[in-house]
Amino acid sequence: MCDKDRLTRRQLLRGAACGFGSLAFAGLAGASEDPLAPKRPHFAPRAKRVIFLFMQGGVSHVDSYDHKPRLEKDDGKMMSFDDARTVANTGAKNSSQRIMKSPWTFARHGRSGHWGSSLFPEINRQMDDLTFIHSMHTEGVAHGPATLFLHCGSTNLIRPSMGSWLVYGLGTENANLPGFVSIAPSSGNGGARNYGNAFLPPVYQGTGLGRAGGPASEATIRNLKGPDGSEERFDLLRELNGEQLRVRPGDSEYEAVVNSYELAWRMQKNAPDVLDLSKESKATLDLYGIGRKPTDDYGRQCLLARRLCESGVRFVQVTYGDNSANPAWDQHSNLPKHGDHARAVDRPVAGLLMDLKQRGLLEDTVVWWGGEFGRTPYAEKNGTGRDHNPGGFTVWLAGGGLKPGFAHGETDEFGHKAVSDRVHMHDLHATILHQLGLDHERLTYTYAGRPFRLTDVHGQVVREILA
Amino acid sequence: MIRGAAAVLLLLGAAPQETSDPKGMEFFEKRIRPLIADRCFTCHSAQAEKLKGGLLLDTREGVLKGGDQGPAIVPGNPEKSLLIKAVRWVDPDLQMPPKKRLDPEQVADLEAWVKMGAPDPRGGVAKPPPLKKPMGMSVEDGRKLWAYRLPVKSALPALRDAAWPSGDIDRFILAGLEAKGLKPAPAADRAVLARRLFYDLHGLPPSPEEVDAFVADASSDAVEKLVDRLLASPRFGERWGRHWLDVARFAESLTLRGFIMKDAWRYRDYVIASFNADVPFDRFVREQVAGDLMGDGTLEERRRRAVAVTFLVMGNTNLEEQDKKQLEMDVVDEQLETVCRGILAQTVTCARCHDHKFDPIPTRDYYALAGIFKNSRTLEHSNVSKWLEVPLPAEPEREAEAKKHDDRIAALQARIKAEKGKAPTLAETPAGKTKGALAVADVPGVVVDSAKAEKVGDWMQSTYSGVYIGDGYLHDKNEGKGEKSLTFHPELVAGRYEVRLAYSPGTSRSKEVPVTILSADGEKDVTVNEQENPPIEGRFVSLGQHRFENNQGYVIVSNEGTRGHVTADAMVFIPVEKLETAKSSAATAKATETAPVRELEAELKKLQESGAKRETVMAVREEKAIADLKIHHRGSVHTLGDPAPRGVLQVALHGEAPRMPAGQSGRKELADWLASRDNPLTARVFVNRAWHWLFGAGIVRTTDNFGTTGEKPSNPELLDHLAVRFVEDGWSVKKLVRTIVTSSVYRMASGVASEADPENRLLGRANRRRMDAEGIRDAMLVLSGRLKLEAGGPTFPASLSADYSYRHAGLERGVYVPVFRNALPELFEVFDFADTSVPTGRRESSTVAPQALYLMNNAFVLEQAGHAATRLLSESHKDDRARAARAYRLALGRLPTEGETALLLRHVSGAKDAKAAWGAVFHALIASVDFRYVN
Repeated sequence: MCDKDRLTRRQLLRGAACGFGSLAFAGLAGASEDPLAPKRPHFAPRAKRVIFLFMQGGVSHVDSYDHKPRLEKDDGKMMSFDDARTVANTGAKNSSQRIMKSPWTFARHGRSGHWGSSLFPEINRQMDDLTFIHSMHTEGVAHGPATLFLHCGSTNLIRPSMGSWLVYGLGTENANLPGFVSIAPSSGNGGARNYGNAFLPPVYQGTGLGRAGGPASEATIRNLKGPDGSEERFDLLRELNGEQLRVRPGDSEYEAVVNSYELAWRMQKNAPDVLDLSKESKATLDLYGIGRKPTDDYGRQCLLARRLCESGVRFVQVTYGDNSANPAWDQHSNLPKHGDHARAVDRPVAGLLMDLKQRGLLEDTVVWWGGEFGRTPYAEKNGTGRDHNPGGFTVWLAGGGLKPGFAHGETDEFGHKAVSDRVHMHDLHATILHQLGLDHERLTYTYAGRPFRLTDVHGQVVREILA
Repeated sequence: MIRGAAAVLLLLGAAPQETSDPKGMEFFEKRIRPLIADRCFTCHSAQAEKLKGGLLLDTREGVLKGGDQGPAIVPGNPEKSLLIKAVRWVDPDLQMPPKKRLDPEQVADLEAWVKMGAPDPRGGVAKPPPLKKPMGMSVEDGRKLWAYRLPVKSALPALRDAAWPSGDIDRFILAGLEAKGLKPAPAADRAVLARRLFYDLHGLPPSPEEVDAFVADASSDAVEKLVDRLLASPRFGERWGRHWLDVARFAESLTLRGFIMKDAWRYRDYVIASFNADVPFDRFVREQVAGDLMGDGTLEERRRRAVAVTFLVMGNTNLEEQDKKQLEMDVVDEQLETVCRGILAQTVTCARCHDHKFDPIPTRDYYALAGIFKNSRTLEHSNVSKWLEVPLPAEPEREAEAKKHDDRIAALQARIKAEKGKAPTLAETPAGKTKGALAVADVPGVVVDSAKAEKVGDWMQSTYSGVYIGDGYLHDKNEGKGEKSLTFHPELVAGRYEVRLAYSPGTSRSKEVPVTILSADGEKDVTVNEQENPPIEGRFVSLGQHRFENNQGYVIVSNEGTRGHVTADAMVFIPVEKLETAKSSAATAKATETAPVRELEAELKKLQESGAKRETVMAVREEKAIADLKIHHRGSVHTLGDPAPRGVLQVALHGEAPRMPAGQSGRKELADWLASRDNPLTARVFVNRAWHWLFGAGIVRTTDNFGTTGEKPSNPELLDHLAVRFVEDGWSVKKLVRTIVTSSVYRMASGVASEADPENRLLGRANRRRMDAEGIRDAMLVLSGRLKLEAGGPTFPASLSADYSYRHAGLERGVYVPVFRNALPELFEVFDFADTSVPTGRRESSTVAPQALYLMNNAFVLEQAGHAATRLLSESHKDDRARAARAYRLALGRLPTEGETALLLRHVSGAKDAKAAWGAVFHALIASVDFRYVN
């Protein structure tokens, strides 16, 4: 690697000493400091990047990883629960609900012997690499608020997304690509706010590739493809700009614009390679389930995530979801439909874990799998599905200095509320920032007269899960 | 019981207890004191690093007084004591100590202690730990700060160079320069000045002819004449209105579900019209904050005011928040943020949870202001709440007609209801009148027969009544109440549907069958009276119209809480556009519904479709019961403290405090105070905004923050001078702009920064500025000759139901492009359009690679370049050299240099396809640096 600190921007431009990958994707504002240049973390990091596999809509923890024998035992019984939606709407506690057992069977997996259901057979094989948090709880009972909370740490107020905070805190390693990419983002439930920079400078905005539920082929950077005769057109532009710059020698603003074109030109030439999966081996494609239904799309998106991470992107989110008000995993009724979604993501996710591992990337990448909340252990409205459950759910993490094959926290015996070693979404945010070498209390940005944080005035690092 | 507890409390409060209960004291010393010291004091004592929940357990007083949630214990009653509840870990939201629970014996000790009346020898005053940083600034100290003192006109400064200034602005600026030994830059070239004035006042480039005319005008007041002409044009309101729309975080949709705010454009047009009509700024402020409360006026005034209040309603709110108390306070917070930052440049929302840490704004002030907005309703609540819409005032004739129309509809609806009441129930229906079984295929719409429903619990199929769809209907046997449900999953193409339940009626049926419809708009619960005859064709009851997404959504029929049989025959989903033709069959259409009802319903439908549509507007409405808010501890809607009587910012109050009326929110009083000459901020903040919009940097560069964390004015005398004069001139924005842009300061050339003033704070030269997104877009459309100047009104199809993936294809000015929060035009995104969710007085001006990619490759740019080439080639020019000159003047407002001409000629000469060659030239010119800068 090149020592970027010792080279001036102009030297880099001239010499292109590091080739593709030395200059900022964005932020060439005049002579001032490049806002995307790599920055020193607060302390030694355990990871350099994050891949967030967003299971949009709220995957059910009691049907996947949080094994609760009581659901089997009391299936069909009416019991009293403090249902989160009922409490939020009316304040009434103790509503009568019908316990519903899981249609999937649970078994222990790997040396860690952690429980996993038959919903995710492939991921179960990676059990010893996973770190479970079973005692998650969060804010927001509906998708909109909870999804914003998951990404931005607030159910309603306009706040920057976690990826924006990370790039703000650490800069990017590959200046020719965006530092924060959201693959197939959903336009529902907060939409672009979920990868927005809010009040952070626009250079920290997430770049959306494609759209939720859309084909993987759409996931690309915009305006990368030039018109016919691009080369000549660019030469002409370069000459015109040269003339304009000649009148204003040493004008840093003009230089910055000129530089932005050089950079864009190199991106146009090189970025398509990063986004191009065709050179991957057959074995790799198979690993992700690419070329087969129903794993093709999510497989491609996961593979793209790996390629982006390899090229130095700081935060990559891969959404499995759609743009609707009741996204993918939102099985208010017909719980068995979870099976369709699981079949689409199981192999790609397992493949990504294996691929990261065999390339040595897993050790400094935090992989985060989960939804905006979990689901209730009882049937919603006495029907065939489960309602939202922000009071207790499971996420798993992998890599990045976390204890592999480890489980933290518990929900109650039904899996309804987190009861021991509770981990709030703010705590999870604090923990992930910590793995990247950032103290969530020190990562602040002053706006409208006061410093802001991703974790507001909350959050504690969950030290128990750190390796 | 309660009385007993109170008595104990009194006793406890009365005197120390050392003597009264030695055994209790011993228990406390041995079992309780060490326990709480070990496990609680880290967060709940005077030694705490950070006091949590406002609770102090290191004095008896602290224990009894409790924290944010109230007293920690009720002596003698462990069951009612919060502390006991917390240590028992029964409520997941209140578990103490949070990390590791106490041993059962320790919990038992605490219970025993509370039970014995919580004997506690500790005296002393409960004192929170000292804060690491002192909080805020007192209101007293705050009043001494520059921003909160009333602006005053200073004497004009003495100057060495008396010849340069043409007005007072110039004198203040020159004084600043001379103090540093600097000189103002020479005047800008006339052509440069023309481009600057056109951009600043219209946001459009001048045509070469307009520039020529201005350059050729040798009269001494050439600038003034041009400025007056520009100010009189409707383009001025479009340009300056857009500035205000940034401050007002104007948008036409919500990110949540992409909901379209179909009437928001009225506010945009109101703002543009206000700047064009030079509505005094104080009135403009009043209308936006309290237009609905401003009383009578002409129809036009009432319409303006009704629309103006949209200002308060456009927040990018998460309507789906389920805790509606929280949602309401979030909405209030957003309104406060917009009003206070937009009009006062104050960051009051910092004080939502605690006194402002830096500015003299106590939490009490926050809730005093919040109380005003809390008493104005902004939303109607349901699962997904909805902003208020009210009819826009109309001409008396139209109003009367609309009223008559409404009355007729209401009357007809009442008659239908009455007729339906008369309809015979099944028991009375002569047997055989309702004809029988119907095949699923004969029912129009998407039908989910009861046989296809997902069943929970034991349901019985029956054909007993003889009236059913498919194989029969289901009933719950009037057993297992609360244990059974039916879920109907339709396969639907996205759209709006009327949902109808077919059921088997009868006197043995339940009168309140709960049915839940989950659609794209959320959950809706309805109940169906199955004792009544189904009103539609004797089979169906309508469950309302709902929007569905592809194959999502469902309907659940439950038997929870019902008495009598619950029946369900089928669920039918009929696209609303097909409702007219949806009749099951000729035979059943007659069914049980009486002819008069059918006729009346047809009449109603016709009536509803006829008649002029009432124009509506987004609005707020005064609450019926007016009440002050209580302070919310740490901003939580669930921990309330002392009441905060409604009022305004104390630190900025000069003269008497506005009296808050008992029967109104106080918005009008707030508006009057905001727009008063006794408000030290309003005029200052606006003149500073205007300065920023004209120079690229405010006198206070933090245009939205005049607090202690903001910047101090670079030229306080000038700022005050402008503010005082603005008010004296009747708050006229056009006069303000005219004064500024005709000054010598504004007319200076831009140039290289002087070392003594690298940031140009003293304005020794003009700032070169990058055009904003609309400026770049509009300039491209002017160049291509495709810009459409006529505009106003809605600029998207009325049928649009969500903003997702909206394709912007309009050729109107940028200010009229629909501002969709999920779908901004790409050009707006890359060129730093104002954030549509927060008030923005100052846009970013970044230089990033995606901008370069956009200009290099985006189809819109290529298209405009192509049109520009066609246009150029259709004009008659002597040769390519003349064409090159023309191209430069059109695109960059100047002639090319010799070098540039040579470059172009080399490129176009001998080109096989002249249009393509010139297209490439225009493309390069648009992408070139000069295109996006105003010198």
